[in-house]
Amino acid sequence: MIPQIRAEIIKVRSTRTTLGLVLGMIAIILLFVILTAWLTSVGEMSGREQQRNLFAIGSFAGLFAALAGIMLVTGEYRFGTIRPTYLFTPKRSLVLVAKVVAALIAGFVFALVGEILSVGVGGVILDERGISVALSHHDYTLITIGTLIGTALWGGIGVGLGMIVRNQVGAIIGILAWGFVIQNLLFNLVPSVGRWTPDQAQNGLMGLTDAHLLDPGVGGATLVFWTVVICAAGAVMAARRDVN
Amino acid sequence: MPPVVRAESLTKRFGNLTAVDDLSFVLQSGTITGFLGPNGAGKTTTLRMLLGLARPTQGNALIFERPYAEIEQPALRIGAVLEATDFHPGRSGRNHLRTLSAAAGIPDSRVDEVLKTVELDGAANRRVKGYSLGMRQRLGLAGALLGDPELLVLDEPANGLDPEGVRWLRDFLRSFAGSGHTVLVSSHVLAEVAQTVDHVLIISRGKLVRESRLDELTAGMGGAVRVRSPEAGKLREALERDGIASTEASGALYAQGTTSERVGEIAAASGIVLHELRVEQSSLEEVFLELTSEKPE
Repeated sequence: MIPQIRAEIIKVRSTRTTLGLVLGMIAIILLFVILTAWLTSVGEMSGREQQRNLFAIGSFAGLFAALAGIMLVTGEYRFGTIRPTYLFTPKRSLVLVAKVVAALIAGFVFALVGEILSVGVGGVILDERGISVALSHHDYTLITIGTLIGTALWGGIGVGLGMIVRNQVGAIIGILAWGFVIQNLLFNLVPSVGRWTPDQAQNGLMGLTDAHLLDPGVGGATLVFWTVVICAAGAVMAARRDVN
Repeated sequence: MPPVVRAESLTKRFGNLTAVDDLSFVLQSGTITGFLGPNGAGKTTTLRMLLGLARPTQGNALIFERPYAEIEQPALRIGAVLEATDFHPGRSGRNHLRTLSAAAGIPDSRVDEVLKTVELDGAANRRVKGYSLGMRQRLGLAGALLGDPELLVLDEPANGLDPEGVRWLRDFLRSFAGSGHTVLVSSHVLAEVAQTVDHVLIISRGKLVRESRLDELTAGMGGAVRVRSPEAGKLREALERDGIASTEASGALYAQGTTSERVGEIAAASGIVLHELRVEQSSLEEVFLELTSEKPE
């Protein structure tokens, strides 16, 4: 098991894909943090609700972790390296587990960067505007845990999704459409269903306060559940399907 | 000694298409076997089943008497290259090999060794996107050699190689097999492997049409052994006494329906000097084409 994980970590680190994702993530998180912290009125920004939302922007890392997970699998199919990968490790479930572990680690690192940006840069801007932080220690803890664990799990979800879809472009378009459109629509139109999506489960885990969100514990469990289900489906499909 | 590779009634269907049809063969240790057939005959599908990448519809594909997926640390016993292009273009050749060696617990020092073997040590830290096709072929081969395998399986390794590359590959495979290792190499061009292999498996439309030693391929198929001798007349009579017909053309004799061994033995028994003795290439090619041509049903 450990050799396979090492191999997957070398894969993550030996192309520029990961670096590109991290740079893209930094740019987007910085943009949202700066816009939110500067442009929201002092009155609104002084409230806990809005400060929570600001510091949770780091969880945007989840999308990039999911993309990294997707590429770790679909890149192998796109460039054919899946053949040597399976020749060296014919137990395909072992390859999948190793990829999930590598993606969890990558996701965790992504989340650290995102968290430092949102809390650090967001905090500096609030300070600059003379707004005092209204969040409690508990609020901070939930946002941090939710960002770190949630983002890591998104890496795993990306791996499972990549195994199911295999086509790189299809999987990327799918996760973008889901994250930006479908799950948002679902949550806004039918919140009783939409809150169970992995996206809103993570928002629940971070302690965000929309009335419809799940409690942090239930949200975390729901996100873990989705990760396990999607990866298990990916493992079943990987075992059954021929490699061309 | 048990065979290295064993295909038992191997069959693969894709919907209505039968890509591999009840194929059975064995490969013995220490042989170089050419796996031949036209494009689309089912060679790659057969190799994919042997290597555990595709599941047979029926039958068994065994290496060292086991399905590939059940072999412990397969990379330490079997090296295989299915496509010459299986690399991430943005990864260096050396890092590509490291992703494989790490999975098999092979030390990095072995990565540098195989890079030297395939003469890529100078380009090892460059990204694969800058490699020529010949370099990619050699990098693929380096990956197959990482585990110092006993069996090498190569799918169309000469595709896209220049003559120098083909020659390099031929020399490499000979020295590999010379140390008692086994090679299975597929090709759709017999001439490409005729100087390398000692056995041939010929398939056409998923079925095995011929399994033989290369030098016996022409026997009984109207093939010819080309032989030159300063005593051509005497040799011709000696062959005739043994029931072997021959014709004379452009300064050489063409003995029909025999093997180069037999002609050599007859010449030696009669004390006849030979200047040349070989199975005529064109007739090998003719046999191949005859065996694999599409016959109306």
